[in-house]
Amino acid sequence: MKHLISSQDMAQFTASGYLKYEDMVPKDLCKACLKEMENNKGYLAVGMPFEETWPKDTALGEAFRLPKVKGLIQSLVGPDPLYDHHAAHLVKAHTTRGPDMHQDSVIDFRQNYFDIQLSFFPVDTTDEMGGTFLVPGSHFRNVRTGEIRGYQHITGKVWATCPAGTIYVWNTRVWHGARSNYTDQDRYMYKLRLNPTKPQIRNFDTSDIDNPEIGRILSTHHGWEGHEHRYELMKRIELWRYVSDQPDYDVGERFLRRREYQPQRIMA
Amino acid sequence: MPKVQDILVLFQTSPALDVVPSAWARYEASKGTGIKDLIEERNPPYKNAMAAMRDGWQVIQMSEYHQRSEADGYELGPFPYQTVLSRFREMQTEEEDS
Repeated sequence: MKHLISSQDMAQFTASGYLKYEDMVPKDLCKACLKEMENNKGYLAVGMPFEETWPKDTALGEAFRLPKVKGLIQSLVGPDPLYDHHAAHLVKAHTTRGPDMHQDSVIDFRQNYFDIQLSFFPVDTTDEMGGTFLVPGSHFRNVRTGEIRGYQHITGKVWATCPAGTIYVWNTRVWHGARSNYTDQDRYMYKLRLNPTKPQIRNFDTSDIDNPEIGRILSTHHGWEGHEHRYELMKRIELWRYVSDQPDYDVGERFLRRREYQPQRIMA
Repeated sequence: MPKVQDILVLFQTSPALDVVPSAWARYEASKGTGIKDLIEERNPPYKNAMAAMRDGWQVIQMSEYHQRSEADGYELGPFPYQTVLSRFREMQTEEEDS
């Protein structure tokens, strides 16, 4: 498979819960996709194989089968993913939005597992157009959907500003929401959620798996972690151990040893 | 116009009043009954609760410490602590819904 993401990108996805790739969908195809989004219909067959379920002979069908997009999908959820759901999210021109922080669907405790959501922006999306916001690194904090609406502002929050053809891919547990659109132009974000069908282990390009930069990426401070950064780091290391198939991996002070190093149990 | 209560909530990773907030929210009844257009803010309005107190805000709730167990001591969820601050301001006319 071509266009797999690097181990460093996978580490960033593990730490921050999202990646941004510009130039994924050519401009002409973006225009054709936008027309289809304006006539978006409801969900397809939830939980069925993506390849069988996703329409062919349509612009959106083509966009999500571009080699670069297939490589991205394969890297994160592996081969033969399932279609979960899709939606064309629209914030109409001159529409303001209040607090909207949420985690999608329902609370999700599955260990060593994550769904992905691809957010495709078919037109140039400026700050004033209100691109989706994300809270990087929030995907280890399970909450009940919209109960976090009270977090109106969080240090480190980012929002989509990007040229047409950009895809943000994110762990579906990342806290996120919509923003006000102050422009004359409707703002579309097309999202597609996919599930893995196999363990999500080493599906990405592992040629740089020993790059020491990975430890620094996993230790990223996003701004909001405060006194809980080391507990966040433990969660990231657990996930990195799994996806990279390195069960003893750790960094820095090796906080996971505080749970794992227990000679008294061996002696007993 | 009468004075009514505004609330500022600082969400924190320690209950102390001198820690930097991770998140924050405003419930300004003096301006209306909800935020219809959330303007993004990259930095908290005050560096900590004590700075807000020096600006006239009154603390009406600070958090208790949590007892941790082996079962949940490593788990993450909503921010664990919050400081609730209050201030009274003159009521303004609420803008109509557009």
